[in-house]
Amino acid sequence: MTALKKRLMFALLYDGGNFMLSRNFRLQRVGDIEWLERNYNFRETALSIDELVILNVERGRASMDGFLSHVKRLNDDCFVPITAGGGVRSVDDARVLLRSGADKVAINTVLWTDPALVAGLASEFGRQCLVASVDVRSTADGHRAVVANGTEELPMPAAEWLSRVATMPIGEIFLTSVDRDGTGQGFDDAVLDLVPPDLPVPLIVAGGAGKAEHFAAPLQRDEVGAACTAHLFNFVGQSLATSRAHLRGAGVDLVEWDPDLLRGLAGSV
Amino acid sequence: MTLPVVIVDYGMGNLFSVASALRYLGAEPSISSDPEVVARSPHTILPGVGSFRLAMDRIRAGALDEAMHSSLGAGGRLLGICLGMQLLGASSIEDGTTAGLGLVPNVVARLDDSGGLKVPHVGFNEVHVTERSGLFADLPEKPHFYFVHSFRMEEGSLSCPRATCDYGGRFLAAFDAGQVSGTQFHPEKSQSAGLTVIRNFLRR
Repeated sequence: MTALKKRLMFALLYDGGNFMLSRNFRLQRVGDIEWLERNYNFRETALSIDELVILNVERGRASMDGFLSHVKRLNDDCFVPITAGGGVRSVDDARVLLRSGADKVAINTVLWTDPALVAGLASEFGRQCLVASVDVRSTADGHRAVVANGTEELPMPAAEWLSRVATMPIGEIFLTSVDRDGTGQGFDDAVLDLVPPDLPVPLIVAGGAGKAEHFAAPLQRDEVGAACTAHLFNFVGQSLATSRAHLRGAGVDLVEWDPDLLRGLAGSV
Repeated sequence: MTLPVVIVDYGMGNLFSVASALRYLGAEPSISSDPEVVARSPHTILPGVGSFRLAMDRIRAGALDEAMHSSLGAGGRLLGICLGMQLLGASSIEDGTTAGLGLVPNVVARLDDSGGLKVPHVGFNEVHVTERSGLFADLPEKPHFYFVHSFRMEEGSLSCPRATCDYGGRFLAAFDAGQVSGTQFHPEKSQSAGLTVIRNFLRR
């Protein structure tokens, strides 16, 4: 009997020194890391999640230094696996992220533009290290996957793209509904239905969480391993702890963390 | 005075996260590839992610194997994490058979995916500890830890306090052989349960 736990994840969107709110992939600045700590007590949020995602959503090709220093700093407050990504275009891009405290690297556009790089990343760091991000939105032609921060639509049905990504040397698929992103209307069942049966890798779903109850529906599906929110306003501070308790009550198999114990361990040696 | 801890750097593994966890607990981590520093270290952590063979090549090339033996000879304590734990064993069959550091007699083999199991084993899984003392003191009854690995150490005839996990069969999740200990899971990535294990390692 193998019983891997379901995971509740939180994503931070970084853009040039600031953290952002995203709605249908349109970005709005919220504040810098000091502001995040002061107003939203990120340390508390980190006590209630199973994994953290930090994405560099800066448009264009900016210097990675600022992003890397934020990944390092967030690592100090967060004793769960960290996935970092955004703009990864080379093995070296991935290496510096992994040397800055990331455990896994998220890739999106290169899945489409550079499959050879995907193979190269897998052979260098192992496929378990690669989180394949797939962004999906509805169009007049049905659901389509988009890359390059949602700006480029792929010429095939989203379900076909998902099946193709599933055969690549990757460790997990991170599936986001652009239509629900930041809306707080709940996860998108229509997008979940695009996932091929017998997906050989774990599936993380994102886009649409607005309250604790929203996580239960996707997490109760067998094929979904994790649900993620990037909604800073709705889910920082105590609200992820509350969501966790609610989900466990609803029978979702999450690990029970002990935030008080973790706080008590600070400076204990 | 804060407790100094040396993290062995041989170019493989998330050293940064281990250092963060040590700082949070109040210890003073240093990351070193210098065998003289490792040989004098009272508390040493051997992290690692990747290929067993490559790791052993790099450790031997850097004379870090002898350094860890010297540190143990002087009464030091060693904790191997993930691949670092596997390296403490006798050998691994990853990329052909490679000898390990031989500090415990156990061997490393691939996780069994014949039942259609997803390999690598990635995520939080439950472990069973033989006794909640030493490295496993103060853990909850059913502790969960973060795993990410394709190879695992067999339990073998090890009789020291240990933890096992079941994924395609039972395997060794952690052991506490006194001076030498190891965790297949990542304690630095396993919230309260993980930091409790690192705290226990540092307290002795």
